[in-house]
Amino acid sequence: MTSAQATTPGGWQAELKLQFEQRMGRSLLARRAHRGPLVVQKPLYPEGDAVCHAIIVHPPGGVVGGDQLSLQVQLASSAHALLTTPGAGKWYKSGGRLASQSLQFEVADGAVLEWLPQENILFDGAEVAWSSRIQLSTTAVYAGWDILCFGRQASGEHWQRGVLGQRLTLQREDRLLWQERSQLQPDSLCMQSVAGLRGCPVVGNFVVAAGAVPAALIDTCREIVPDAGAWHGISVVQNVLAVRYLGHSASEARRYFEALRQVLRPWYAARAALAPRVWNT
Amino acid sequence: MSAAHIKAVPAIGSPLALTRLLQLASPMLPVGAYSYSQGLEWAIECGDVHDLASAQTWIGDVLHIYQGGFELPVLQRLYQAWQADDMRALQHWDAYFQAGRDTAEAHAETRQMGYSLVRLLQGLQTLPEPVLARFEQLAEPAFPTIYAGVAYHWHIPLAQAMQAYAWSWVENQVSAAMKTVPLGQVAGQKMLFALGAELPALVATAMQRDDDGISNFCPALSIAGCRHETQYTRLFRS
Repeated sequence: MTSAQATTPGGWQAELKLQFEQRMGRSLLARRAHRGPLVVQKPLYPEGDAVCHAIIVHPPGGVVGGDQLSLQVQLASSAHALLTTPGAGKWYKSGGRLASQSLQFEVADGAVLEWLPQENILFDGAEVAWSSRIQLSTTAVYAGWDILCFGRQASGEHWQRGVLGQRLTLQREDRLLWQERSQLQPDSLCMQSVAGLRGCPVVGNFVVAAGAVPAALIDTCREIVPDAGAWHGISVVQNVLAVRYLGHSASEARRYFEALRQVLRPWYAARAALAPRVWNT
Repeated sequence: MSAAHIKAVPAIGSPLALTRLLQLASPMLPVGAYSYSQGLEWAIECGDVHDLASAQTWIGDVLHIYQGGFELPVLQRLYQAWQADDMRALQHWDAYFQAGRDTAEAHAETRQMGYSLVRLLQGLQTLPEPVLARFEQLAEPAFPTIYAGVAYHWHIPLAQAMQAYAWSWVENQVSAAMKTVPLGQVAGQKMLFALGAELPALVATAMQRDDDGISNFCPALSIAGCRHETQYTRLFRS
């Protein structure tokens, strides 16, 4: 935890702004600015100059009521950045104060942004608001997933009290292409409904926007399935490929999405999928 | 708008507006609604829906979660945009609705039905020219975008338009369940009677949602829509 002015009586206000640029074939983290406890580690280049891997770290290790996290990422034309996190996001009991996270991504023409964080865990009593706004230029590429766990599964905890508001919007130029919005409480009909979450503790989506999706690629994706006992589905709408997972295991959701990324990345980024090393530690 | 035309239109909520409402809500409205199951056919295929009780649960849950949480509040905003004759708001809520239809078939469905309703209204020639021109300006509009415009210009009150929209949806779902589960006429009427009773409260709740309260999150429904795309035998287009 760093500067004193970053904290408020309500909690931490943390803000991280990153700008990536491509120069002479190398994707650089050209600018970074942060306020409060949200930082980026030294950029890594495990697959050569073209792709900058950056690990976003939230040093307190968990988010409490009143905390406000904001991550703003801009990619200039032709830059390629892969962002991930070193561990699961932990959202603790809030004590009546909302904890929030705001992601704002702007991707310019020819640039590729991959947002591949580890799962977010809602502890019992967590009250959170998440918003993700993805703004793409005409030929920008975005591939991102989100995996959410209701309650700490390892300790058999359920999310019995709390609030979850989620908003993901994906826009290309002026056109809103895809959105998902939820407003949930533990007793919301959606939590147990056969048409909603079916009582499953884990839900995830993997969204890729990279122009028209070849039909054969969709078929290949459909051959990849998670373990029995999980529900999944793939559809392409307004050139956005959206995959859903609904089941019981965050690691299984990740394996499913990683397997899909293996076949999707050669299409959306013209390179083989390489898993960030931080996932294996 | 000519003086003669103004004279011919009914007041909001008048007896004539009621017959307009019945016409708009009728399954005879030629927009092809009967050809869509909105994932219900897959829910039947996978066994989630297999009798009257499970059909009523599925339809009722989707009614509350997706219709009440998303379609009706957006329909309300579209109606208000027609009321204000605000083209920017119409385009915004139309795009908003389409972006929230999160599977290929659900998205194609609303555009096809929107297209069919525009064609019908062009054929009917009962709406003023500027309204028809608005329909033309909306590129590939969603069904509720046009539905809201017709409801407003046929002088149907907002809450009634929302209830009629939800009713038509329920009726169409029940009809799909009757054909596919299959279920008999009495079972179908039982579901309509039970779910119909929930509509007034559903509409009232939907009307109170603020923009942040709008939710299209209904994951197993979305998955049903995805899986329907590759379902081996199917009667329906969604």
